[in-house]
Amino acid sequence: MTNEIALDNDGRHIDRRGLLRIGGLTAAALAIAACSNNTEAGTLGRVGQGGTTPALEDPIVNDGVLLRTMAGLSTSIANAYQHILDGKFLAKASETMPDLGDQTELVTVFRTHHIASAKSFNALAVKAGAEPWTCGNTRLDSASINPVFKRVEVGAPATDSSKVIGPSDDPTRDYVNLVHSLESMFASSCQALVPLLSESALRSSTMQIGIRSARHSALIALRILPSGYVAGVGESLMPADNATTTTAADGGPPAATAIPLPVALPARFGLLSPTSFIGGAGDENGVRLRVNFETPSLNTFAYPFSSCP
Amino acid sequence: MEIEVTESGAFAAMTDGRQPMSRRAAVRVGAGVGVGGAALSLLPFLSGHAVASATTEPASAVEATTTTAPPLRPTADDITLLSFAQQVETTAVALYNEALKVTGWSDQQAQVVTFIRDAHLAYAQSLSGFLGRVAPNSISQKLFDSQKDGFSGAIDLVLASAEALESAAVATHGDVIAELVGTDAASLIASIQMNEARYCTVLADLAGETDPAVLLVDEEAASLVGKG
Repeated sequence: MTNEIALDNDGRHIDRRGLLRIGGLTAAALAIAACSNNTEAGTLGRVGQGGTTPALEDPIVNDGVLLRTMAGLSTSIANAYQHILDGKFLAKASETMPDLGDQTELVTVFRTHHIASAKSFNALAVKAGAEPWTCGNTRLDSASINPVFKRVEVGAPATDSSKVIGPSDDPTRDYVNLVHSLESMFASSCQALVPLLSESALRSSTMQIGIRSARHSALIALRILPSGYVAGVGESLMPADNATTTTAADGGPPAATAIPLPVALPARFGLLSPTSFIGGAGDENGVRLRVNFETPSLNTFAYPFSSCP
Repeated sequence: MEIEVTESGAFAAMTDGRQPMSRRAAVRVGAGVGVGGAALSLLPFLSGHAVASATTEPASAVEATTTTAPPLRPTADDITLLSFAQQVETTAVALYNEALKVTGWSDQQAQVVTFIRDAHLAYAQSLSGFLGRVAPNSISQKLFDSQKDGFSGAIDLVLASAEALESAAVATHGDVIAELVGTDAASLIASIQMNEARYCTVLADLAGETDPAVLLVDEEAASLVGKG
């Protein structure tokens, strides 16, 4: 028999000394591990060949970018009018608007104004230290104007989920409405630039161009709807049926989307809201193309690294 | 092997002077140093994250943003300009009130002129709200007297006078925007100017004008700045 204390071999008993020993060893091991200087994870291994991640250019928005963006918008509008005039769409009679008359001469004037506006904006952009933008705004062209042209003149092909859509039932109506939408959008865009430009003189010059488009918008609205001076305030002058509608025949296809007619004075203050264009032939459910024309934003600006296609 | 004898707390408290570091204390200190070392060794990693987040914006972008943002609120000079603009609007309201006293308006003409009168009232009120207690809220008597006859004659004359007044207001607000420093006021004046430009076209059309050069106001009237 010895004086030694019998060891507890069942592993359930840890004495205080053992606990301290384990704790001390663990802490020492942690300290040694932490003292190592290898804090970089390193790069992942690569399998095969691949290009490096391209660095994005700086999206600088300054006076020059804003002004040359406006030059692009104006050029896009002038190009759109040229397309409409080349197709002689405005000289044709409109079934929906029999009293519309030939608006070719007026839109030709508008086009001349927009060519001059683009030059003015480019001159201002150059003064602000930017390169001039001599083509249309690529975003406006690809996302808004060209889809309208395609839907009006060609229609849309059949897909897995929809039937083919034919060309517009009234291209003259659609294009005169497009002129109104573009002029309204351009006027709003000039107004939207006022708090963004850094110099007072640039704001004034921009507004001087913008108010011309506001007048274009009011005049073309009055040509589309001669009594459409005001709407929505007090006793409206607008007739109850202030939209071009198609009534569905009994058992026939659904009626096409109504097209609201514009008014010369849509509100008491200049609007910054999007201008909706509705046009083209309706699809199998009668739904026409709807495009919202909005003031330029980050996806529309002509950045310093952008160039004409 | 050295046998460690640990003192009880009561005894340790009774002993005088410095105590030799016990093994437990050594372990405690060692563990503290270890954790501290681990934390210190993590510092470069943590500070690396901090540096990375601070330098997310490319240096070139930081250098490029050199344009000083204009102030939002009007300056002292802006208040003088805005007070003048408000007087133009209140005078326009008074002149349209004179015009609506004229007999012979068609329903359509009366509604359009009323709409424009109310819009000018809204402009004067919005500028009043912007200016606060310093807003003049009064007409320019000089401008009113110079325009009154045109707004109280025959309908055609009134429409022509109204169109000329709107064109002058457009030119005036253009001059005001060219001088304003604060962007909040510039935005408000711009939204007013945009619609007053439309009024010229509407009033010309209402008067039966068909010439696009007149309807689109190829020649803007002179500004009223300095004439009030």
